[in-house]
Amino acid sequence: MMKKEEFTFFEAYLSEELSEVERLSFENRLKQEDELSEAFNNYKELYSFLEHKFTTEKATEAFTKNLSEISDGYFTSKKKTKVIKFRPWQYAAAASVVLFLGITMFNNFGTNPVYSDFAVHETLSLTERGNQNQLYLNAEQAFNSSDYEQAEQLFSEILVTNSNIVEVELYKAISLIEINQFTSADKILLGISNQNSAYKNSAKWYLALSKLKQKQYDDCELLLKEIPVGTDAYELAQELLSAL
Amino acid sequence: MNDKKAHRDQLYIVGLLNNDSIIIKEIYEKFVPKVVHYVSRNSGNEHDANDIVQEVLITIYHQAQKNNFKLTCPFDAYFFLLCKRMWFNVLKKTSKKEVTINEEILSINDDASLVAFETIEFDKRQQLFEEMFQKLGNACKELLKASFTIKSLQEVADKLGVSYGYVRKKKSLCVGKLTKLVQGSPVFKKFKN
Repeated sequence: MMKKEEFTFFEAYLSEELSEVERLSFENRLKQEDELSEAFNNYKELYSFLEHKFTTEKATEAFTKNLSEISDGYFTSKKKTKVIKFRPWQYAAAASVVLFLGITMFNNFGTNPVYSDFAVHETLSLTERGNQNQLYLNAEQAFNSSDYEQAEQLFSEILVTNSNIVEVELYKAISLIEINQFTSADKILLGISNQNSAYKNSAKWYLALSKLKQKQYDDCELLLKEIPVGTDAYELAQELLSAL
Repeated sequence: MNDKKAHRDQLYIVGLLNNDSIIIKEIYEKFVPKVVHYVSRNSGNEHDANDIVQEVLITIYHQAQKNNFKLTCPFDAYFFLLCKRMWFNVLKKTSKKEVTINEEILSINDDASLVAFETIEFDKRQQLFEEMFQKLGNACKELLKASFTIKSLQEVADKLGVSYGYVRKKKSLCVGKLTKLVQGSPVFKKFKN
């Protein structure tokens, strides 16, 4: 292991404070002693690490802050314009649809908002909680890849044996909205929103979205107003309210 | 660094380095959707993707600050490989379930993998150094901070109320201590193999 004095020597060498004789003898030792030369190289690397760390601290802070703002902006605005996910064969059309959406959103102030602008479904992960059941996995995959018909069937299958999984009920209802089976969707959502569970307000939000898709704007508005401050759905609700 | 010419996408590296909001936004618009898609398909969600993207961009930013970093491949490929790698690491750490993402990053021998590999190695070293720095005593941390922020050691000595000779010696001993910590870490030993 290196002696402490060697480090003082490294420092003196790097800041060119050694005499000619001392310098030459040190360089000679570096050539001959592997351990010394390795320690010296590591010392130099750490020296430059520290120099970089402290001289760029402020710039890094500014960068991180700016980045986080841009990122938040990007992900929030994405939520506003995101439509349902596309299947691979739809990719070709995707670009023009997004462009079209952008333009219509720009030009259509004053007209009613549309469902697809607000229907942002969180990625479902039923299996995240250690549940490796194939049925759950399939349901999750179908939903996340926007195959709502398939997802709805699989959710129903799950509910046959586990009728009280509120999360699955909620996602079944979302799938039903996607495939325009509003009566069944609304019935489930109404049920969840009248119970006390973590999904109560999400259910209200989706019920409002269902009404939006059915162009029942007054019902939609009433439901949105019921979503309390401080919940996840509140901000979305306010956004939609201001668009109505 | 190799002698190849920088790719025209170097502009993204320069943009990050200059904290150029327009370029950063462009990166989000052009390259982030692919990452969100990938993470969402591999046990994650948009929120995870957001974290990964920020972390990777900070890593690239640090890498860009050092050694005249030159991008010799399209930014898209480089950035995506780094995000994939980062997400793979997150999954490995947080999930008990088997991670099935292919680690093609080390097997495809193209420019993008090489540059990404360089950045990953750089990042690993930086993280280790930072971790070891945090292990130093407060006296060392403060002295190092002061002596690398304030250029004149005399000023540092005045500020800390000690002699110039003491600061000079202590600085070298603290960097030395950090060197020893790093050299002694198993992670560092692995780097060499």
